[in-house]
Amino acid sequence: MAKVTYLWTAALVAAATGLGTEWQGHLAAPDVVMLYLLVIGTAAAVFGRRQSLLASALSVLAYNFFFVPPLHTFAVAEERHLLTFVMMFVVGFMMSGLTLRIRKEELRARTEEMRSSLLSAVSHDLRTPLAVITGAATTLRQDPPSLGPERKAELLETICEEAARLERLVRNLLDMTRLQSGALQVRREWVPLEEIIGSALGRLDDQLAGRPIHTDLPSDLPLSYVDPVLMEQVFVNLLENAAKYTPEGTPVEITARPSGAALEIEIADHGPGVAVDAGSRIFEKFSRGQHGDVPGVGLGLAICRGVVEVHEGTLVAENRPGGGAVFRIRIPLPGNAPAVPREVLHEDQKSA
Amino acid sequence: MTTSPKVLLVEDEPQMRRFLRASLGSHGFDLTEATSVKEALALATSHNPELILLDLGLPDGDGIELTRRLREWSRVPIIVISARGRETDKVEALDAGADDYLTKPFGVNELLARIRVGLRHAQQAAGTSEPTLQIGPLHLDLSRREVTVEGRPVHLTPIEYRILTLLAQNAGKVLTHGHILRQVWGPGHADETHYLRVYMAQLRQKIEVLPARPRLLVTEPGVGYRLRDRQ
Repeated sequence: MAKVTYLWTAALVAAATGLGTEWQGHLAAPDVVMLYLLVIGTAAAVFGRRQSLLASALSVLAYNFFFVPPLHTFAVAEERHLLTFVMMFVVGFMMSGLTLRIRKEELRARTEEMRSSLLSAVSHDLRTPLAVITGAATTLRQDPPSLGPERKAELLETICEEAARLERLVRNLLDMTRLQSGALQVRREWVPLEEIIGSALGRLDDQLAGRPIHTDLPSDLPLSYVDPVLMEQVFVNLLENAAKYTPEGTPVEITARPSGAALEIEIADHGPGVAVDAGSRIFEKFSRGQHGDVPGVGLGLAICRGVVEVHEGTLVAENRPGGGAVFRIRIPLPGNAPAVPREVLHEDQKSA
Repeated sequence: MTTSPKVLLVEDEPQMRRFLRASLGSHGFDLTEATSVKEALALATSHNPELILLDLGLPDGDGIELTRRLREWSRVPIIVISARGRETDKVEALDAGADDYLTKPFGVNELLARIRVGLRHAQQAAGTSEPTLQIGPLHLDLSRREVTVEGRPVHLTPIEYRILTLLAQNAGKVLTHGHILRQVWGPGHADETHYLRVYMAQLRQKIEVLPARPRLLVTEPGVGYRLRDRQ
């Protein structure tokens, strides 16, 4: 990417030179200088500081070579031209400095915006369960006589549920922070996909209760080369989402197949699907689709995409023709899994 | 539980100690509390606990180091309770000699189950090893090398059989990848985790009703495996 912008910068300077020589009869020397300044400004605004400095240097050289007598040499006959060079360079330098400042300012504004949306989302989502826990616990401590055993059990259940919700939120925040700070260590290993999916399903036993889960993993599916802990989190988040956003009792299907030099895994549900325009936005942090009544901060899918991307894979969401959403993960397979030595079986060991 | 098992709790946070004192006390455990490594070492020698619950972050040292020092002379079951949830921390604690690991926050049922497993294994280690093992629907006859699931015989390869017996003899406890690999394949193969994963997948095919939703051979991601002894 960066290299291309340097080439573009050089091309712009060349174009300015071309225009200048083409219209030489109609343009005065200051017009040509203005043309070069335009290029320097463009490079500063569109590409960045280094590119605009390169544009300044190239412009000075080109102007000297093509427009300053003696022509087609880098020699300079009159001293006033040297002044022009210096001025071109200084203007280029100033422009690049200004752009840098504007860019920093923009970045700061964006970070600030992110931080305040994070703060409001987090404070809301931390406070709500805390408020419920505090309320329920203080009620139980007062133990008013009107509080029957049923209500008590209900309050206790609420405390446990809300605490679990807090725990999930904290875990997601920590995951997201690790993912973003680049501090995340990815330990890729050869793992059967079934093991990862199995432990994700095991962690969600309660949330998925009463929901048929169909897993269709071919027995000859190659081992995947992933970080099993991180990928488990991806499946936990996707399945948790399915449990949250689709009607109770509706099935979830998990399928996988090799596809070229990659594994393609699909998690399909029978819920309302994803809003089409939100199709890609749902993977952004704090984006929550249209589910104001379901608790959550909107970090789950952002984490999923982040994790899949550190595996050089892709994660997309689509609606299925028959209704429901499908999340499709594609994880590249770098070559074949190392062989596992086969056991040599003697006749008497076969029924061990 | 006829007598109150003596449990040593090593934890520096007062709220955590209060919660455990209340819940373990009400389940008939005789709880002693230590708030530092120094105190824990003293009480472990003078008090002779039957099980130790250990927090890792202590004011005067690290719980993992404490585990290593305790293991120099004691086989008392150690269950780590820690807020450090990273897999490397768990593996380090287990490799240092801890018997199990619970990440905070945890429910009291989970803790009680792990304590029972720890106490049971300590008793078994003291007595003779059982010739047969029954774990849920799984039955192992070690003298005849026979395995059945709900009465149905299962044919295992020698490696599969060795992995399963190792897990069964430690039912309810998490065993790290490295530990199983060293025990089954030998010390030179401790890092060949994919061997173990492939054999575990085969074992699940033979033992689990739904291999993709295992009920017995449970994965502890990034750490190892556990044979679940309660449904």
